[in-house]
Amino acid sequence: MPPDLKSCSFFFLYDGSKVKEEQDPTRKGICYFYPEETPIDKQELLCGQLAGAGRCVSELSSSPVHVLRLRRNKFSIRMKDDFLWALGCFVDIPTVSVCELLDHLISLFCFYNGSVRQSYQLNRPETLASRWAQYLSHHQQGTNDLHHIFSCIKTIDSTNVDPLLLLKAALILQACQRCPLVLAGCILFRGRVVSTQMTPALTMKVMVHENETFIKSQRHSSAGSSAVKDPVSSVPVFLTTSELHYLQSTPVDKEIKTHSTPCKETQHRKPRLSRTLSDTLSTDSEPSESGSSQSLLKSPPSSTDNVFVPGTADPLLSSSSPLPNGKEEDVSFYHSFCTNGDDITDNSMSSSGAEANCASGGIAGNGRTMLDFNGAAGTEEVCDGGLRRGSGHVVPSGAEGAPDCQNDDSLVPMMLYLHRVKGLVLILLVERHFLDDSASMEEVYHSSLAALNGLEAHLRSVTPGAPGAQGPYIFAHFDSIQSTLTSNLSGRPGAAHERPFVRAASLLHSHFCNTETLQEAIIRSAGAAVYGTRSVAQETYFLQHGTVRNSGIPNHQDSAFSLPTKARHRLLKHGVNLL
Amino acid sequence: MTSFCSARLRVQAEQQALGYTRGLSLSLQTSRGSFVHMKCLLIASESAEVLFYWTDPEFQHNVQQQYGASQEEGHGLPAFEDSISTLFAPVIISCITMVDRLGDSYASFTTENNHVYVLQQFEECLYIAVNGDGDEDEDDLRRKIYVMKKMVEVLFGMVTLSSTLLRKELRPQDTELRTRLWKKLQSLLETYSHLRQNDQSFLVEAVERLIHPTLCEQCIEFLERRLVQQLNSSGERAGEEVVHAFILVHTKLLAFYSSRNASSLVTSDLLALIIMAQNMYPSSSDLDDNGPEDAESTSGSGPDVFYTPEPSPSEGDSDSSNGSSKLKKTHDMPVFEFVDPDLQMAEDSLQSLRVPPPDPSTPQRVFLEVSLKEGLYPMMPHSMYCLPLWPGITLVLLTKIPTSALAMPIYVFLEAFAKLEKRLQEGHEGSAATRGPPAIQEVRGKLDKFIKVLGPSDIQAVPLLNVWTEFKNRAFSKGGHGFTKDLIPWCKNMKTQLCGIYRQCFLSDSGSVDAPRHLSLGLQERAQALVQEKLMDWKEFLLVKSKRNITMVSYLEDFPGLIHFICIDRSTGQMIAPSLNITEHNSSELGKGPVAQFIKRKVWGLVNAARRYLQKGYSTVTLRDGDFFFCYFLWFENETGFKLDAVDLPILPDDSAPIGMLSWDYYRKLRRFYSKNHQGELVRCFELLTIHLGVIPSEIILQHCRQLASKLWEPSRNPLL
Repeated sequence: MPPDLKSCSFFFLYDGSKVKEEQDPTRKGICYFYPEETPIDKQELLCGQLAGAGRCVSELSSSPVHVLRLRRNKFSIRMKDDFLWALGCFVDIPTVSVCELLDHLISLFCFYNGSVRQSYQLNRPETLASRWAQYLSHHQQGTNDLHHIFSCIKTIDSTNVDPLLLLKAALILQACQRCPLVLAGCILFRGRVVSTQMTPALTMKVMVHENETFIKSQRHSSAGSSAVKDPVSSVPVFLTTSELHYLQSTPVDKEIKTHSTPCKETQHRKPRLSRTLSDTLSTDSEPSESGSSQSLLKSPPSSTDNVFVPGTADPLLSSSSPLPNGKEEDVSFYHSFCTNGDDITDNSMSSSGAEANCASGGIAGNGRTMLDFNGAAGTEEVCDGGLRRGSGHVVPSGAEGAPDCQNDDSLVPMMLYLHRVKGLVLILLVERHFLDDSASMEEVYHSSLAALNGLEAHLRSVTPGAPGAQGPYIFAHFDSIQSTLTSNLSGRPGAAHERPFVRAASLLHSHFCNTETLQEAIIRSAGAAVYGTRSVAQETYFLQHGTVRNSGIPNHQDSAFSLPTKARHRLLKHGVNLL
Repeated sequence: MTSFCSARLRVQAEQQALGYTRGLSLSLQTSRGSFVHMKCLLIASESAEVLFYWTDPEFQHNVQQQYGASQEEGHGLPAFEDSISTLFAPVIISCITMVDRLGDSYASFTTENNHVYVLQQFEECLYIAVNGDGDEDEDDLRRKIYVMKKMVEVLFGMVTLSSTLLRKELRPQDTELRTRLWKKLQSLLETYSHLRQNDQSFLVEAVERLIHPTLCEQCIEFLERRLVQQLNSSGERAGEEVVHAFILVHTKLLAFYSSRNASSLVTSDLLALIIMAQNMYPSSSDLDDNGPEDAESTSGSGPDVFYTPEPSPSEGDSDSSNGSSKLKKTHDMPVFEFVDPDLQMAEDSLQSLRVPPPDPSTPQRVFLEVSLKEGLYPMMPHSMYCLPLWPGITLVLLTKIPTSALAMPIYVFLEAFAKLEKRLQEGHEGSAATRGPPAIQEVRGKLDKFIKVLGPSDIQAVPLLNVWTEFKNRAFSKGGHGFTKDLIPWCKNMKTQLCGIYRQCFLSDSGSVDAPRHLSLGLQERAQALVQEKLMDWKEFLLVKSKRNITMVSYLEDFPGLIHFICIDRSTGQMIAPSLNITEHNSSELGKGPVAQFIKRKVWGLVNAARRYLQKGYSTVTLRDGDFFFCYFLWFENETGFKLDAVDLPILPDDSAPIGMLSWDYYRKLRRFYSKNHQGELVRCFELLTIHLGVIPSEIILQHCRQLASKLWEPSRNPLL
């Protein structure tokens, strides 16, 4: 029997710069070692040997070691400056997955702590060790074995939720984004993504902090102390310049330069940071689903019944231009609805989106050009010019903010703004000085509060669907664009009858990753036949229980070869279209 | 004592390595140009001593540059093997440390620029294979390592069972001898690599027969009635007996004959012998056959790498009788004084002046598996005569040597001591450790007798006798400790001594001039002439036929859309596949050069993919890859052709021995595994690989596969068989 798939057996960070002299003990270089209870001499052995052998091979090939396999473990290795990271997993996990996981862990650390070298200069190693432990344990929580193969985001079961709620969530995020200090956001419910504007990789990072607080708050509530803490909190984070660039290059901002016209005279117009659901929601905090959507789709956004923060509206944020027209807005919303509101990029790409953005561009353009470093992103200077302006204005003595376009890894300090409403949380990636800007804060807070409350109430009332409708088959469907996984695998890790499926999926996934041209595969052992297929955007695996045994000689009547047809047919009801 | 020494050595080396790696980490930043190719295979001892290496010119260049950079004293470039050992030392030592302290060791490294390093330890020898051009993946490199080990076993036999002796065998003190041996091994490795990359039968590791039933039959009859009979009744055979004879056309088998009382030759050994024959007489047309790509990849070393320079026969003739006789006389001395394997080192250095150049009439000593009624004996000594008939066509004779009977008891003793050692190491003591078979008392009696028999012969059995006496004192006498852990070193010692005897018997050239120990040159020439005469009219036909054994054309009508297939009978170790001609001037149905090259790459890729799935227990695989549809099937039949039910196949770890038949017969294991549930039935195992155009409906493809599978092994129905 193969050992249960477990994502990590060893993880360590070794700082070679601490062990330069002959008498330096290896332990001086060990920054963090998991499992922490490992005897120190074994830690030293692994760190010392792997680092030494790794360096020797790197030297021979003039290239850092990437993967190191032992007989019983395989390690993904990263070497940078004097640091060496190693993540060891059991050999059954695909190598690509181990490498992805390590890269993710490192980028997680940098996201919350900034550059590794600096963090270790500024913080006590114990503090940072607990962070590594936190990030690791976050990854060990995968609900089933497939999560070790595919790095995926936990989302709410969208088949169970009224699509309009997803739309609502998307709109809340869009509304918040209208504040120029807000880069992007996501909404989580009970540790699962409801809607996100960020790339899957960034969403995963953002979720880690929230998951921790969510688990903590659950513990608190179970302990009886339901004392609600401040619903709004913030965490400093760091974005890589490429991430920042990606966020800034969304068409939302692209239009700013071209459309921004200084027209201060229009600043007195109605504030309309939220031009969407919150309008209706604020009047009717618990609208019926249909009512809410109706009002959304029908009410022109230029309607002046906007009641949120009516008096305190920041004139700078007020819209100078009325929205082009309601109809186009509707199209835009509809589009967002179709894409589950996942990506504002799609939304804005649509023809109407450009005009809608023109409006938002107008907002930003109105005397806020100084703050609007986002706006520059779409221009020819790209991140460079934009950032410099940004760092000048926003980042206080932005040492790290100093852009270095040569080095993609330089980190830009940012903030995570979190607004919690019971199980629901709104997370926004904001500029650091957003927190000093009480006006913006309040705006964002008030513009979203009612909508969040409403959304929370609805999501809470959604009864979780029958867990993993088990049929005479097992399937897994991985959306590689959105990094989401749909599967009817039971939650129990290592369930015996599911193991053949997981093993096959793991092998096929490796094969798909290594062979670009491979589209479909059927592999069969005596007991199980698994069909795998992939396209640019997805990978799907399917196993039908009760495959009839046969001799293995080619036979077109063999049930294994009807798997593609069966998969196409069966998976339709799971929302997976293989046609 | 020795363990203490090696421990100290290790510590020293470790410190060196540590300091070295630290130095390296600094110089890492100043990285030099990357080396695209870079291939290497290294065998090192636990103390990082190089026992053998092979590198391509790029790797050598890289190493020299690295070494040159760190060596500024200006003593000139140190010997290449020193540089390579220094460069690899940290990895080797780290590997040993990991085994000692963690019980786990490195299997492979991959760097960001996709260089792959595979490490595999056999006893005290560490094999490292490196690839830097993406041609070979981890599995390929591991296979290369196992094939290298197989070749060493075929050449050195049971000496490989004693690390101490093998180390000396692989790395003779005498540099000239060492150079010659390493050159030979290097060229064998290159021949293998070339065959694996270009020859389908070495891709799937099964023998390909030349398909011409009438001629085959005639040739087999000829080998039996005329050749072998005549040879074995000749007075000039010096006690040797021809047991197998076969004719190769390039790598394909035209005819194979085994004498009646001979054990069958296993596929693994036959494939190894074909590599050796190809190495000795590389088919010149093989070189022409390389596509432009291949020519490029070997251009660095030039085509001469495939030729082992042999002294011309005429020169050897006149020389061998007197010249080598003198040399042999003096050569007798150290062997005579052979006392202890440890002393051999000093003696080896004396041999530097008396290494005779290889005599062309001297056969190659090979060690092959023999299965007899009493059991399976691996690595039994044979002589191999490789007689070139024409370029590309070779006659190979395998003879049993007169003293080979000695090898069997030695193997039995070695096995007994190895078992005993293993049991003692596992913590068994007393009678639990000595439980047979064979019972230790039985071994005791036999070994006493064996040593007595050795007494009057040329063989120096004194050290064996001494160690054995000591062993008996400790194990059996009242004053001794009996069968306890203390006996483990003595088990090792006994093994070394037995291997030493084996080495004296079968590896050292101690034959006296007056009684040559092999078929006389005249006899060899007669055999050569006899077969040449027989095949004279067929010569041209055979050479062409070997290139176009079967062609896809004959299958296109019945199987539209089929591009290529390989069918393998794993029970006989034979394969059938349409020829893949990839030469520029030799177009096939697949078209010329690039297209054929493309298909060839697909075939090679498919075989590798199928193996990976088989390793994990999947016996059926279909893949849609680009415009192609691949199928792989493995199934079992009984003798009568009845298809047997599929069973769950064993799931092997990633670094298990490669799946194939050359270095390790996976399929024999598989058939045995299957037989467990089908007692008494002879199980046959088949494999079929096909490549179709992707537009063909999969139902039709599967029907094709079915038809191919049932058709190919039935000669009556196949127009080509």
